[in-house]
Amino acid sequence: MPIIEVKHLTKEYQLGHIASLKETALNGLRLLTGKGTHKKEPFKALDDVDFSIEEGEVVGIIGHNGAGKSTLLKHLANISKPTKGQVIVRGNVAPLIEVGAGVSPELTGRENIFLNAAILGIPKKTIMQKLDEIIDFAEIEEFIDTPVKRYSSGMTVKLGFSIATSMDADILIVDEVLAVGDLAFQRKCFDRMESLIKKQGKTVLLVSHNIRQVEHLCSRVLLMDHGHLLMDGDPKTVCNQFYSLSERQIKNTQDSNSKLRQNVLSSNDIDLVSIEAFDGKGLATSSVQYFEDVEFRLTFNVKNRLPKPVFGFGFHTTDMLYLATMQSINALECEELMPGTHQVQFKVSRFPFLPGIYSIRIGVVLGEFFHPVFYAENLFPIQVTAPNISRSINSGSNEGFIGLDVTWGLIS
Amino acid sequence: MLQVAKNIYQYRELISELAWKNIIVRYKQSYLGIVWAVLKPLMLMLIFTLVRSFVGIETGDIPYPVLTFAALIPWVFFQESTSEGVISVTSNAPLIKKIYFPREVFPLTAMATKLVELVISLAILAIMMAYYHLLPSIYALWIPAIIAYAMIVALTISFFGAALNVYYRDIAQALPVGLSLLMYGSPVMYPLALVHKKLIVEQAAGEWSNTLYTIYTLNPLAGIIDSFQRVLFKNLPPDFNALYPGAILIVAILPFSYLFFKRAENWFADVI
Repeated sequence: MPIIEVKHLTKEYQLGHIASLKETALNGLRLLTGKGTHKKEPFKALDDVDFSIEEGEVVGIIGHNGAGKSTLLKHLANISKPTKGQVIVRGNVAPLIEVGAGVSPELTGRENIFLNAAILGIPKKTIMQKLDEIIDFAEIEEFIDTPVKRYSSGMTVKLGFSIATSMDADILIVDEVLAVGDLAFQRKCFDRMESLIKKQGKTVLLVSHNIRQVEHLCSRVLLMDHGHLLMDGDPKTVCNQFYSLSERQIKNTQDSNSKLRQNVLSSNDIDLVSIEAFDGKGLATSSVQYFEDVEFRLTFNVKNRLPKPVFGFGFHTTDMLYLATMQSINALECEELMPGTHQVQFKVSRFPFLPGIYSIRIGVVLGEFFHPVFYAENLFPIQVTAPNISRSINSGSNEGFIGLDVTWGLIS
Repeated sequence: MLQVAKNIYQYRELISELAWKNIIVRYKQSYLGIVWAVLKPLMLMLIFTLVRSFVGIETGDIPYPVLTFAALIPWVFFQESTSEGVISVTSNAPLIKKIYFPREVFPLTAMATKLVELVISLAILAIMMAYYHLLPSIYALWIPAIIAYAMIVALTISFFGAALNVYYRDIAQALPVGLSLLMYGSPVMYPLALVHKKLIVEQAAGEWSNTLYTIYTLNPLAGIIDSFQRVLFKNLPPDFNALYPGAILIVAILPFSYLFFKRAENWFADVI
């Protein structure tokens, strides 16, 4: 029998405020005079979501902001009640929905351990036995008798996490908690989650925006989109689907406001008018073929004379990871640029980035001292496609970013 | 109702931890600490004693300060646990949004917190009684029952008010006004015996007198305060004639109040 069953779960919220007394009175009046009431359209946070989870499964829930992930978790933790449908949970639930929910700033660390244990329903006897372990895990031995309001925010979350994971529940519900504390503590949290999952065979529901983490930890992933359950399947397929959805969304937003004026730092001596991309045959294009030649043409409008300009051209991912930067120094001979319109060509042979969405940054500096006159990033979305690449690497962030020009051999 | 009792038992650790937290949070960084808890009835007692020296209230042979303090103890306990109970759900919004446990824990916790302050007030009353050479009778054993009844009355209002306050914060604003009015309608400044004498013995309101007295005792606090004074000073058991109208009212309302709370509970996390 599945440990969690969600049947046709629908949750509606009324948009805006709840009716004030005045509105209620006015509506009553309209009803009496037969004019019909003002009814607001409800917003569907969850729309006919249907799935079940077996004991021991580790299920990730991913989706954009507002896709309904946290609302779904709230229903599983019995915090919200469905508008329609049914949620059946067989077993006790440890909700880690934002750790430290019950941490009271006035109490000391030790007092908070007891309070939060009581909130989570951990018996006092159990917590007495685990006290040292909790304090040890949270790395706050010295501060355990200091009020939590004097803690750093990292210490507070560490405390919250170690209390919550000490609970002996059948089902763990985790909402973005792995993003707590410094890197070392994140690693520790991750290890603890892994041991809860793999050694103790607990059922875990994990909501995270860290798709890599989800892919690594989970045995199954649900993809939510606008309250619908879009996909339910093995982590790799679902995560890939999510990546391509996100990329499409990023491209759409960039296309719709691709004004070159954005994100530009300029001394007003020079302006970027347009960026164009051309494929190997010299045809204008907005997408680039992986491992094909591509040429970018940057049109600048120069207002004042620029001595010894050096151009920089770089690629970065949509989350601003700089991948490559090339400079025109020693590659483009140019003593000075006179006022007027100029075009800079930038040719990449065998474009090396794996399929995905990338963006361009451009800089212009002057003279020997590299005096900056123009800098802009996130300028031009390039979609890299590869018709003949197998599905498994059809997602840039999955297998890295760069393809190498390699030759394979088999010597036997 | 059985469910409430079961929940109280099952969540007793949580209630005591939360109550302990409330007490610590309230008094931790204050110099006078828990003394503040008993300052309110003490100040009111002083004011009432002062007022009485002008207007003259018949109170029998028991010293007025100790008599009115004994009235103030159940009254302040009721008043504070009700007003704390009504805001207990809204003031715990972060918890409500994140973790599930039966929400009646919050009004119950508010009450448990006030119970601690009640005990301190009782200690002060004991000191005052010793000063006036008053000895409580065997009937003082009724006190826990009277307090329990006062708790049920406070819970009846808290459940309804707390649930409604989630939707309309007006409740928390209106309640203190209503409660301070109710204080004058309760035998706090004056003894119930005075009301009884005017209405029942002297029939001051003519043919309406008996009905008026019943209406007066519909306020459960009338019976509670009177019983409290009777068992402590007068060597008498509680006066059930003064208790039953209020008790009937409470028994009739409490189930609805609780059901209303439990129904509203489902939407607390969405609305709060």
